[in-house]
Amino acid sequence: MQRGEKKRIRAEYEMSSIRGSKDASAILFTLWQSATGIIIALILPFVALAEPQTNFSEGVEFCLGCHSDSSLSIVLPSKEKMPLYINPEEFAASIHGDKLGCTDCHSDISDYPHPVKELKNRRSYSLAFYEGCKRCHFANYTKTLESIHYSLLSKGNPRVPVCVDCHGAHNVTRPDKPRTRVSQTCKKCHLGVYETYSASVHGRALIEEDNPDVPVCTSCHHAHNIEDPRTRTFLLKTPELCGKCHANERLMQKYGLSTKVLETYLKDFHGVSVTFYKSQREDITSWKAVCTDCHGVHNITKVSDPNSPVLKANVVHTCRKCHPDATTNFPGAWLSHYEPNPKKAPLVYYVKVFYKIFIPFTIGGLGLHILLHIWRVATNR
Amino acid sequence: MEDKINSGEGENPQNEVSRVEMRLPEEFVRFSPLQRVEHLLVMIFFIVLVITGLPQGFFETSWAAWIIMSLGGIDMTRFIHRVFGILFAALAIWHLGRVTLLVLLRKARPSMIPTFKDFSDATGTLKYYLGLSEEHPKFDRYDYRQKFEYWGLMIGGIIMIVTGFILYFPVFFTELLPGVIIPVAKAVHGYEALLAFLVIIIWHMYGAHFNPDVFPFDSSIFTGKISRERMEKEHHLEYARLIRSLAKDGEDKKSTGEEKSNYV
Repeated sequence: MQRGEKKRIRAEYEMSSIRGSKDASAILFTLWQSATGIIIALILPFVALAEPQTNFSEGVEFCLGCHSDSSLSIVLPSKEKMPLYINPEEFAASIHGDKLGCTDCHSDISDYPHPVKELKNRRSYSLAFYEGCKRCHFANYTKTLESIHYSLLSKGNPRVPVCVDCHGAHNVTRPDKPRTRVSQTCKKCHLGVYETYSASVHGRALIEEDNPDVPVCTSCHHAHNIEDPRTRTFLLKTPELCGKCHANERLMQKYGLSTKVLETYLKDFHGVSVTFYKSQREDITSWKAVCTDCHGVHNITKVSDPNSPVLKANVVHTCRKCHPDATTNFPGAWLSHYEPNPKKAPLVYYVKVFYKIFIPFTIGGLGLHILLHIWRVATNR
Repeated sequence: MEDKINSGEGENPQNEVSRVEMRLPEEFVRFSPLQRVEHLLVMIFFIVLVITGLPQGFFETSWAAWIIMSLGGIDMTRFIHRVFGILFAALAIWHLGRVTLLVLLRKARPSMIPTFKDFSDATGTLKYYLGLSEEHPKFDRYDYRQKFEYWGLMIGGIIMIVTGFILYFPVFFTELLPGVIIPVAKAVHGYEALLAFLVIIIWHMYGAHFNPDVFPFDSSIFTGKISRERMEKEHHLEYARLIRSLAKDGEDKKSTGEEKSNYV
């Protein structure tokens, strides 16, 4: 490709009345006003180029001929300045750098001058690209359709994130390298949650120690099919969610934590209820505590932390959230995820031992009595 | 020796007995209508409590889940269980109050009190079963097996009621008592229920249905009646006492067996 040819294209582009000039934006603005305010990608066939189209599919280099100019930008009808600059190094370093060419994503552009896009602001441009990634990432794209973000988007909220908001556009790299990046990504919108999380036992381990085991946002909420965490369905999944790690022997061993927490919960009144609620109809209004009702959600602390809601000194206040009349005796009803043993809850332990002997003894005795009777009746005949 | 004790206390009314026996009815009334209703109610309550309670104890199994879901979910299962628990408790209070009052007012004679004879009857029966004795002990109105079951139900029932109410109102009961009574009550309630269920399924079903003496069904507790043959064989001492009292009362009195209901 010759340098002169590029310059000519560039000149022609700038002369054309589509972008960059006040006239162009005025025309676009008028068009936008007549439109319904919804994103419309109106493609107008323009002056056909004499040059063969292979130039565009040839590769990144060709496009960068113009787009590596850091001053290249247009003004949108919203008066926003939209840079058209692509950092060549950044793109080359991205995960797509050696895989994709510009037109793989910008598939509507095959010509020069580029077709006109009718977009009221930069956000419209991002949203118009929502479908852009699905050609390759179809599985993740369909997952997003189940997400709370997409649900809000489809209801007309333009502020919810689409692919590029989390992953970036020309600078896509692995979203979880390093792991802290995940929470940084969500923090962009969910700042309050991030601040709470970063002070929690999980968040601090992640941020301060780069701990590979603690959950990041997506560990619980998923990355693409992010559910509304306020629904019953989601909340009822809490025990299995926490159990993914806290019932994992190998993982918990590293931190000296008990893996009995899930099992003991599921065997208790609350756990049994929740297990059944999961398979019951949605219209059941009663609620029994799940992990997060006692331990907190994003603010989970160590159980030994002075502020822990399950610390002995604090736990009665936690119980009172649901049992308002609970006295300080009441928390003793809960064996703190322990299996009864001679040291912890000896009374419960010995009651169980007693019945485990007494029941077979009694039933065995009665059974023997019956068998002897039958035997006697049979021999008497 | 047992024969001597059993057949007549002191006197020998053999001739009189045979004369009275001639006019004895084929059936005796063994249970009053009230006792029959009490049994019917405790049977219904027990069955409902087992159906709604056992799956709660074995919640991890698929049959338990099936029952609970069929009943309309865990909350509904617990609701039914609690309602019938209250009914069961009310029946227990009614029954114990009734028999206590009858005994205290000397309106009826207590026949369920365990005595030393019950223990010797038990060992005597086992000796007979094992072929160590040729003589089967002779029983009064209730034999040791029936007394065992009655007191098992009474004591077990009281344990179930107390622990059941502790589990029903944990906040109330821990106002004064330590919190650990809740898991203790839960353990006791579960195991005691299992014991009661097994005793009923094995011991009571055998005694009332599969026992060769009554197979397929001992209907006494529902009809209130017992045949003369069974009366003579299974409750010989009561039978003998009845005959003696009839003999004393005179030859023209014909028994209807109604005297029987003056026992509790």
